[in-house]
Amino acid sequence: MFRTLTLAATTIALLATTASAEEIKLKLWTLADRNGPARVTNIEDAAAILNSQYKAAGIDKTIVIEVNNSGQKGWDDYALDTLKAFAVNQGPDVYLLPHEWIGQFAADGYAKALDEEIASKPWVYGDVLPVLWNSVKGIDGKVYAIPQDAEIRMFFYNKDMLRKIGKDEAFIDAIPAKVETGNFTLDDFTALSKEVVEKGAAQYGMLHRPNVGIDYLMVFASNGVKFTDEKTGKLLFPKKEMEAALSWYERNAKEGVTPADNTAMSWEAIQTAFKQEKAFVFHQGVWAVAWQVGDKLGATWPTDGKGYFNKIGWIPAPAAEKGGKPANLSHPIAYAINPKGTNAGIAADLVALASLPYFNTKHAVSSYHTAISNAQTAMPEYKANWALEAASPMMVHANFVPNHTKFGSYNKVLFSGLQAVETSRMSAAEAVEFIADELEVQFGDEVEIRDALAN
Amino acid sequence: MISQPPRRHRPARPLLYLMPAIIVLSVFFIAPILIDIVIAFTNMGVNLKVEKFTFDNVLRMLGRDSRLPMVLMTTFIYVTATLFLFNIGLGAILAVTTTAVPERLGAFFRGLWLLPRMSPAVLYGVLWIWVADPTPYGLINQIGGALGLPLLNLRNDQPLLLIVIANGMVGASFAMVIMTSTIRSIPAHLFSAARIDGAGEWSVLRHVVLPALLPPLRFITIYQALSLMTTYEYILLITRGGPVYDSTTYALYVYRRAFESGAYAYGAALALGLMVIGVAVTLLQWRMAGMKQSFAAPKIEVL
Repeated sequence: MFRTLTLAATTIALLATTASAEEIKLKLWTLADRNGPARVTNIEDAAAILNSQYKAAGIDKTIVIEVNNSGQKGWDDYALDTLKAFAVNQGPDVYLLPHEWIGQFAADGYAKALDEEIASKPWVYGDVLPVLWNSVKGIDGKVYAIPQDAEIRMFFYNKDMLRKIGKDEAFIDAIPAKVETGNFTLDDFTALSKEVVEKGAAQYGMLHRPNVGIDYLMVFASNGVKFTDEKTGKLLFPKKEMEAALSWYERNAKEGVTPADNTAMSWEAIQTAFKQEKAFVFHQGVWAVAWQVGDKLGATWPTDGKGYFNKIGWIPAPAAEKGGKPANLSHPIAYAINPKGTNAGIAADLVALASLPYFNTKHAVSSYHTAISNAQTAMPEYKANWALEAASPMMVHANFVPNHTKFGSYNKVLFSGLQAVETSRMSAAEAVEFIADELEVQFGDEVEIRDALAN
Repeated sequence: MISQPPRRHRPARPLLYLMPAIIVLSVFFIAPILIDIVIAFTNMGVNLKVEKFTFDNVLRMLGRDSRLPMVLMTTFIYVTATLFLFNIGLGAILAVTTTAVPERLGAFFRGLWLLPRMSPAVLYGVLWIWVADPTPYGLINQIGGALGLPLLNLRNDQPLLLIVIANGMVGASFAMVIMTSTIRSIPAHLFSAARIDGAGEWSVLRHVVLPALLPPLRFITIYQALSLMTTYEYILLITRGGPVYDSTTYALYVYRRAFESGAYAYGAALALGLMVIGVAVTLLQWRMAGMKQSFAAPKIEVL
């Protein structure tokens, strides 16, 4: 009897000790991304630091990070899903967002204003590139998220194929400079791709993303499209410039440079086609280097900078007309914090730690994203990453898509227009009318439809 | 001995016994309709917030949505083609042929045709994507290639044809099963009598089998028309309703507006429209097919 009682007492005592260690559960949401695991592990590592400090100070608390790696199709679908979760009070404490969605989350009260937080932690935020803060501001000018990366997007082209069709090294080496000065236009690029396909060096001329995203907006930008009115902040739809951009995609499909069903292809098929050297051009961003080097996707490419650049070249979106300017768009992903979370303060501390050069550089080099602070660019790991080093100068032409609350939905409509011209469902002019009509019906006077920007 | 007083008559408590059914009906059938009606008259957008009540969605649906006429046309073609060519046509052919061959062989073929119905929708959808793959590795192109035909890209060039065939292959089994049992239940003496009267196979089919198939045919038509109008999972999996809106039927259009664009209120209004169309089509078919007969009390009592 006595033994039983002792056993019971011990068990209760043990249970009581376990129960008294307070678990602080924080929900972290992101889009599942094989190439960017540090978006999650950096927060987990930051939690480990705080936990060890709690332990050292005798505080009986443990932070537990509950991760949701969303399986949605892309950042836009993920953002929509996250909005739904917030609407029914199931939102995460910390979450990653593509910067153009921040306006929407801020307006709905799902993202915490962080100006005071940023001012109070100069040891981490003092050195962040100022241009990045602009990308995460709400309509009221306040900062609502902490940028975690920046990136460069480019057209990757296969130099070996140019050699195969008889182009000499001088021609190949001169392409980026010609793009820079506006002497190599989008149409020149199409003509070159066509030549590569016609001479049998590639099956596809150019491939691009199959879903809604940012890359193709670079082509719109180089055609002079502006997505918002700088004065009023209103979304814009300039028909003439849009038609010019869409007609380039239309011509590419008609000329057989881009397959008509590019938007129905899977990411894997597209990436594999480029890696296995069946496609001359692939349009995406610097993080694609992660699968381009080494032996992924059934082909082996050099892992060193010299070998890689001997095979592959990078250019921003060439100008639409001779003498024009090339365009690039950067698309920072940022950490936002739920202001209604019971542990919003701890969440902010975790984000601050994860944004330190040590952690952010880990993310930058493993996922091929550019750094968020100046200090990082001097770090040996960062410098050793030849891809990031080569990408950084391309930031000169970088711009951001607007942080407008409706831009995500606007972009979806734009993409369906792009799909319509590529699949030859509509001409560029018809697609422009289709998009304008959709925007008008969906957003009413929130989008200003103009005949041309000059008007 | 005192006789027991007669037992008092106890009420049947109909409400109590109906309660499970009432609860199920109201939670799963009536409540969603009511919620849909309410949402349809709000401005609920991506953030699921309701700021005002408005007729905007209905006005947009009836007047300003220039996609809608095309979507309705697509739905009409999709429903009629799938229904008549496959769900009824192929189903009837399968029922007649599998009952005409030896029993075991018939059962084998019926089992084969039930496979798509039994396989998970996602698996079936992925298989069709491979079948219609535009590269030489797709099944259709492998066969076409062997015959020297050019490469086909059905998903891009003939998306509507593709979803009609893919859906039809699943749907045919339903009519096949029902009609098989109908053919089986035709008394054997009718066949014998017909043959004694000198009827050939064709006449037996025309004058004995077909008349028996008519009542289940009415039911299948109404049931399958409704189900084709309201389901979209195979279309979503195979073509995603594209390219653009080319293979987007009404039900998928509701889904795309609500869950792809986040226009929940407009999606709800469209769903309301689908309900109205569904009821109208059913009533019309009911009238035209004389369904009253099917539900009438039998004139003779079968022992």
